[in-house]
Amino acid sequence: MSSITLTSSDGVDISVERTTAERSVLIKNMLEDLGDSGEAIPIPNVNEAVLKKVIECDDDDNRRKTTDIDEWDQKFMQVDQEMLFEIILAANYLDIKALLDVGCKTVANMIKGKSPEEIRKTFNIQNDFTPEEEDQIRRENEWAEDR
Amino acid sequence: MVRSLIHLPDEILHLILCYSTPQSCTAVEQTNSRFQNVTNERLLWRHHCQSHYKFWDGRHDMPQKLARPVNSTDWKALFVFKYQVDRSVTRLLDSILGGQTGRIEKCRRVINMGYDTKDTLLRYSMVDSGEDYLARRYYAHALLTCLHRSIAIPEWAKLKRGEPVSLDRALACFDLFISESGTGDLDEIRDSLDKILDRFVASHPDLYLFTPREKALAIASWLALNNLTGINPDREYHSLEHNFLGLALKDPGHNSLPLVSAAIYCFVAQGVGLNARPCGFPFHVHLGSDINGNALGGMEPGEPFYLDPFRGARETAVSNLRSQLTFLGMSNVEDQTATLGEASTSGVVLRCGRNILNSIRVEPQNPTSRAASIDVMSAKYAALWSVMLLSGDSRPMDLRHQLPWLMELFATDFPSDIFLVEQYIAPLFHGLFEHEHILESLHVMRAADEIPKQIRRRTGGNTNIQYRVGQVFRHRRYHYEAIITGWDSECGAGEQWMRRMGIDRLEAGRHQSFYHVLVADRSVRYVAEENIGIILPRFTELPKSLTAIAGKHFKRWDETERMFVSNMKDEYPDD
Repeated sequence: MSSITLTSSDGVDISVERTTAERSVLIKNMLEDLGDSGEAIPIPNVNEAVLKKVIECDDDDNRRKTTDIDEWDQKFMQVDQEMLFEIILAANYLDIKALLDVGCKTVANMIKGKSPEEIRKTFNIQNDFTPEEEDQIRRENEWAEDR
Repeated sequence: MVRSLIHLPDEILHLILCYSTPQSCTAVEQTNSRFQNVTNERLLWRHHCQSHYKFWDGRHDMPQKLARPVNSTDWKALFVFKYQVDRSVTRLLDSILGGQTGRIEKCRRVINMGYDTKDTLLRYSMVDSGEDYLARRYYAHALLTCLHRSIAIPEWAKLKRGEPVSLDRALACFDLFISESGTGDLDEIRDSLDKILDRFVASHPDLYLFTPREKALAIASWLALNNLTGINPDREYHSLEHNFLGLALKDPGHNSLPLVSAAIYCFVAQGVGLNARPCGFPFHVHLGSDINGNALGGMEPGEPFYLDPFRGARETAVSNLRSQLTFLGMSNVEDQTATLGEASTSGVVLRCGRNILNSIRVEPQNPTSRAASIDVMSAKYAALWSVMLLSGDSRPMDLRHQLPWLMELFATDFPSDIFLVEQYIAPLFHGLFEHEHILESLHVMRAADEIPKQIRRRTGGNTNIQYRVGQVFRHRRYHYEAIITGWDSECGAGEQWMRRMGIDRLEAGRHQSFYHVLVADRSVRYVAEENIGIILPRFTELPKSLTAIAGKHFKRWDETERMFVSNMKDEYPDD
């Protein structure tokens, strides 16, 4: 198994198996364009902690065919919110579809069944509406409320 | 630095919202103005429309909408509309399950919402858990099949009025009556036929070199070769399922009666420009001049030629058909010519309806041949409707003969069709004495539906009643299995009935408790207490036919008590 080296945005070299790294469409394309020169590949948008976490994500495509998140993913995604968003952004930047999907599903699960106020609390979102605006948006979305 | 949801770029928020429920999308919208755009994107709501709902009423023109740029449709408004239909259907169904009064009107309101109700009805017709799942399944299924019939019957009514309906559509209507066909709308069958036509054309790249006659024969042999017409020799010819175009197309064996085979043949032949129609002579297809009026190759203009696609690719000589008709007693040349001419679409539908009735008559003698289990009642009901609508005014006796059968089946098995009977059957008898009869029975049904049930308590003279609504028993003498759906403290039937049934010859006579019961064959009977032998089966030991109809009166099965849980508390509060 050949391995390659990635350099994180904060300048740390991380060695990773080539097949693992190639799950990222971005890295795969870079390797194809550059050839295997043995030089470290810079990943300027992702720091060490996030990059390590992303590499840790075992990629078993079969597992992610359902819309539900399985146990392993759930455990993997038990990180603080900041890390979760960083992983999602990294997956998006590195173009790792399976990981991006798991990340987005995790956020969707956190939103599920919550009222606007509960969502604000969960994600620390400020309410920037005037009472009139708030009332209007609420009325526009009344159809979705359980009656 | 990303600190919160609010800082994610739109493309990622979009993905998150796609994985969220529509309710969550609206909740996110209300948290902060940052989400205003991304939660209202048309692409997002198109996704929700497609992932939540599959069946859209024709007036939405969904295929067109989906083909156009996403921004040309207000997808959120469309989703909201559909969601509200979903909610209304749910509320109406809850209300139908909630009490025995006013069900007819509630059913009508569901059906009036049209094809948009289908997703909801389909969802509930498959529930297998919940407090009232048997009832929910039963009524959702009843409404779903009623919805399908309310698509089919107007097509036949169009034929009756002389409006054009293509043969494939008119025959597909039969499939809409039987849920086993899995046919949900008339276009599905057209799509399958189109695929067959495409396959034929693709496998004959040199088709343009063929004379019309060669084309006609090539289609017949290709269909036979690909097993798309005819019946496998090992199958029972009269099997009920051979009558249904949709079933024939879907089934891997594609077995079909000559009439259905002829319809498949004609569709392909017309698709390649031939003027092919089933003719009045059984089994045969009449090929006239081609669609541009040119004569078929090697024939005089106007001289048709005949094929029997059920049996393969051989031309049948006209003289042969004529001599067969003469042999059968039809010697008049003009009658012969009429029989050998193109059959009208309504004529073909009528024949199909009669074939179905015939299959039902014949089939019970060959129980082993029943491979696919089609619900016989539904098939019979379809046939009766087609015969009633298309028999033509020239044969009022036919109508009179079939009416009682149709009315009985409608009242026992398909009562939600009351508005269809009112709209399409009653007018057929205008000016005849049956007209009053029909209106009267519909009136009685409505009245019975609207008046709250008389409450039957287990007090006073009713304390001696031994068995309860929902218990399952085997008849001591006739051994059929049934569910108790009601009781009387003594025989409440008329004197005549009691005499005919010999009630006084029973050991305890007429002064014992009597029970209304629902039998596995769907019939409703009235049984003396002494003939009831309660059984305590597990749910899995109950006959499938019984659990399928139990939902009419019961919410679910109680495995500890080994009986059905009543959904007739408004009538029998103590049971």
